[in-house]
Amino acid sequence: MTKLVGGDGRTHIESRLMQESLQRRDVLAQTDSEKDWRIFPELQLVSIGGQSIFDRGKAAIMPLVDEIAAFKKSDKDTRMLIGVGGGTRVRHTLSVALDLGLPVGGIAQLVGAMEELNAIVLNTLLAPHGSMPMQRDHFWDLPLYLDAGIIPIAISVPPYHFWEPPPMEGHLPMHGSDFGLFQLAEVLGMKSVIFVKDEDGLYNKDPKKHSDATFIPSTTLDALLADIPSELPIDEEVLHAWKTAKNLRRIQIINGLKPGQLTAALRGQNVGTVITK
Amino acid sequence: MSERKTIESTLSGATLTGKSPAGINYQATAVMPDVKVVKIGGQSVMDRGRAALFPILEEIIAARKLGIQVVVLVGGGTRARHIYSIASELELPVGVVATLGKYIPMQNARMVQMLLAKHGGIYMLPDDFEKLPLYLQLGCIPVMSGMPPFGYWEKREEGSRIPPHRTDAGVFLSAEFLGSRRAIFIKDEDGLYTDDPKRNPNAKHIPRITAAELTKLNLPDVVVERVVVEYMPRAQWCKELQIVNGTKPGQVLAALKGEDVGSIISA
Repeated sequence: MTKLVGGDGRTHIESRLMQESLQRRDVLAQTDSEKDWRIFPELQLVSIGGQSIFDRGKAAIMPLVDEIAAFKKSDKDTRMLIGVGGGTRVRHTLSVALDLGLPVGGIAQLVGAMEELNAIVLNTLLAPHGSMPMQRDHFWDLPLYLDAGIIPIAISVPPYHFWEPPPMEGHLPMHGSDFGLFQLAEVLGMKSVIFVKDEDGLYNKDPKKHSDATFIPSTTLDALLADIPSELPIDEEVLHAWKTAKNLRRIQIINGLKPGQLTAALRGQNVGTVITK
Repeated sequence: MSERKTIESTLSGATLTGKSPAGINYQATAVMPDVKVVKIGGQSVMDRGRAALFPILEEIIAARKLGIQVVVLVGGGTRARHIYSIASELELPVGVVATLGKYIPMQNARMVQMLLAKHGGIYMLPDDFEKLPLYLQLGCIPVMSGMPPFGYWEKREEGSRIPPHRTDAGVFLSAEFLGSRRAIFIKDEDGLYTDDPKRNPNAKHIPRITAAELTKLNLPDVVVERVVVEYMPRAQWCKELQIVNGTKPGQVLAALKGEDVGSIISA
């Protein structure tokens, strides 16, 4: 039976952390362990790029929609959740907001709306095949959606909003849609994250700007952190957050402009770049 | 193949990894710089009940009557520690622990609102943050949970299952967004010490210190969450944290008037 403890002017509930300062490293260490409980270990998260896919319009979006619909029909066991990036409208928002001198938390509050437009567009196209927007953190509905054969479309920008921490440098939020989707996969203990972009995967430098860029088919998180490529196709914050995370083991970056790549990735094949931890 | 249809701007084509691009001359705009963001501690004040809380609220009301704009954020305390302890045993992910951690400061904020209601206390959710100008112009005392809304999106810190951004971080980040220079923390000690003064009678009081000096001291315990000390040097606006003793009459009002009482940690 839990008991209340007094005697120092405060009323405590007996627990391992009672009366402790939660800043003490030795106290914090007691709360840690090697693993985290995994909520949906079979689920895969597909992140569809804003700039790389959505900004290209119909020519890039429709083949992906058709591929997802066909995959869903042929494979009823593989379960996925989709998130989207915001693309050029996010960049435009940021450039106006920076010019206005808005604080980083104000900028963070603004950007999510632009991703949401792509989520609505995607859901409009996928709904005839079975999709539904998922409310911010309504994860507990997921088993219901998935059992019913519905693909949930998640909100990708994390709810840091006005409370976005000061960035390491500059004035832009560090926690964008790539991080938000990574964290969603991590906290729910998902199997993998597949980032769908418009290049074959990871290169040592941006292949759009450098013709001599070399393709990296597979690498590890530690190798990437030791030598972070200067122009990453995903937010660098994903790598830092992944370092201290416990669940996620695999991130894949694939080319959504090449038919069949997403299907192959969803089946666990090593297409594009595979990053493991 | 299809082209990317981009909107021409200083950022089109740039990868968004946090760095500001060339060609932008950022001149920071302060949102509500005169607002005082003040935290009422959970374990240090709320868990002491009436004896500690009522005199503090009297001083906050007095400050409001002087025309000082005060926003009150409230901490969690022993009930938060209890649920964190159970969640740790079950090895729940940090994002789930952070979500659990939202509820207790919310309860405490609601208690404070009930006590302040007749003096204009108004309970606010993070989604109401944009209504602050209205509340303050009406002479209200907005009260909200100190917990930032990260929830399931809270990151894991090395060697801990406790969410690194808790109510101290929420207070600092609120002040930073509003463009307020100093965030005030009401606790049950005179401020910062070289160790926990409740356990170590030889712990020495530190009236003023910089965040860098504090980090260098590598103390076993610090009075505010470590992320706050880490963030402050790179903050745009909130460059000082003031920790005052709410059990000493007059300290809260003095701090709200801008006086240097307690301990001050500066960037």
